[in-house]
Amino acid sequence: MRAVLKYAALGLVAALMLLPFADMFVGALRGPRDVFANPPNYFPVEPQWSVYARVFDELPMGRWLFNSVVVTLTITVLQVATSTLAGFALAKYDFGGRDAIFRLVIGAQMFPFFLFIIPIFFLLRYVPLAGGNGLTELGGSGLLGTYAALVLPFIVTWYGVFLMRQFFVTIPDDLLEAARLDGASEFRIFRSIALPQIAPAVWTLALFAFVYHWNEFIWTMTVTRSAPELQTLPVGIFLLEDQFNTLDQKSLQQAALAVSVAPVIFLFIVLQKRFHAATETG
Amino acid sequence: MRKVATAPGADAASGAVPGVATGAVPRVARPGAMDDRAPGAPRLAPWLFLAPLLVFAAVFLVLPLGFSIYLTFTRWNPLGSPSWVGLKQYEYLLTRDPVFWDTLGHTFIVAGGLVLFGVPLSLALAAVFSRAKGRRVWRAIFYLPQVTNIVAIAYIWQFLLDDRYGLVNRGLGLLGYAGPDWLTDGTWAMVSVIVVMVWYELGKNMLVFSAAIDGIDPQVIEAATLDGASGPRVFASITVPLIRPAVVFVTVTSFITGMGWFALILAMTNGGPRGATDVTALYMYRMAFEDLRMGRASAAAMILFAIIAVIAVLQFRLLRERAA
Repeated sequence: MRAVLKYAALGLVAALMLLPFADMFVGALRGPRDVFANPPNYFPVEPQWSVYARVFDELPMGRWLFNSVVVTLTITVLQVATSTLAGFALAKYDFGGRDAIFRLVIGAQMFPFFLFIIPIFFLLRYVPLAGGNGLTELGGSGLLGTYAALVLPFIVTWYGVFLMRQFFVTIPDDLLEAARLDGASEFRIFRSIALPQIAPAVWTLALFAFVYHWNEFIWTMTVTRSAPELQTLPVGIFLLEDQFNTLDQKSLQQAALAVSVAPVIFLFIVLQKRFHAATETG
Repeated sequence: MRKVATAPGADAASGAVPGVATGAVPRVARPGAMDDRAPGAPRLAPWLFLAPLLVFAAVFLVLPLGFSIYLTFTRWNPLGSPSWVGLKQYEYLLTRDPVFWDTLGHTFIVAGGLVLFGVPLSLALAAVFSRAKGRRVWRAIFYLPQVTNIVAIAYIWQFLLDDRYGLVNRGLGLLGYAGPDWLTDGTWAMVSVIVVMVWYELGKNMLVFSAAIDGIDPQVIEAATLDGASGPRVFASITVPLIRPAVVFVTVTSFITGMGWFALILAMTNGGPRGATDVTALYMYRMAFEDLRMGRASAAAMILFAIIAVIAVLQFRLLRERAA
């Protein structure tokens, strides 16, 4: 009896989690016959699979996908590089100032994102010699119309540095010392000895970074509002809102959303084991 | 010259984060190794490794925060240059702005709703989940919203909550109820926002709780059960107190999330209908990028940040003390 209740509860929550996604996939397949029926059909009489082709024909979907992939991969690679390098330095070297830098890494995480939107927007706009700016004549757009504006504010993740440091600390010093005696350079010790030891943690960081930045919305929208050629999937779909206002365009919007969601869900399912190892240690 | 003994900062560093192990053996015994090394390399290496972080901290942390604080004392439409107005922006927001306090009220309702409903629900779900079979599948399903972009989340729920043709009101209609105007009535719109936030955060919070529950010594639970206590009773009086750190963590992070996270609201209701779901962070964003009032928007961001910081510290103190 108790077991029945337990699985009934889990099943109910699972249904509440899945149903909204199912509703989106069903909605994407509705055709004009369904939306203009009175009352409109919930289940399409004739599923319009062609909607997924229309998404690419009628919307700049290819461009958005390209931007999403390029921006997300660049940020992921850079975050992994900066987090592992800094985490290793904080974990495995003794030097004056380490204490202070570690406190900075902890403290920086306290500041909410909304504090940075305005100042960073203008810092990027006022970068000298970029986007029409002179050395002191700063009337241009700076880096705002470039990929750099989407990537630069995210090249370091404080939490990632902290996480990598926690894993590097567990590596025995003797291992690194031995390599040092063999005359290995410090970078080589980092790259070939230390990094492989924490490979699962590094992959986890990469996966989290990828998912987070694939889905990033507010910042990207803020800096690409007037640069459609730089918009990513979620931003592009959001800013084209007006195009989806008519009833029969709703299914197009739902299909576009499905395309924006599919890659991460796919990645998530494939790498599920690794993903959850991380959420449980984190 | 070269640092051979343990650096003076090392002990302080290990004290900064409790529970984090540092190398137990002091690193004194390597003078031989040091002598054949390229001079200076071990001293220079950590700074090279940290260089990107330090540059980033200067450019994307210290500089913007400083700039932001400066902006709060100015009036600035970015077409011109900022003009110093002292505390006028703070004064305007706190005493004369017609909606600032409303948005602050909404912010507290959202954050409060997320804590009040989100924390107990995810705790209850974790209780059931932690003793279930097939955990990997359940977990994947509950975590699904977390990997979905917020625009999709917002629109999916707009479709579901559509007054006439949404799945929710169709379902209620089949049961003979006329569903409410989920997104076009002010009160219901607020309810909708909180429901979607709780739904979105449920899986993440549940995982934190279930990880904490997994860390409990099973013998403790077993002993209580043998004493004849029922499942729910054991959970409430033994499990929950044992995972109090996780409860504190989820409560405080949920609260902070609820106070400052406006992406979902922007995409789902954009503060509407008629400002009913307008929260301070969203108001700040519109002030900056629609009205181009950068000084006032910066002041609004700073006030919100101060409130969040104070309450987060209070929550931590209060909840931790009660544990002791």
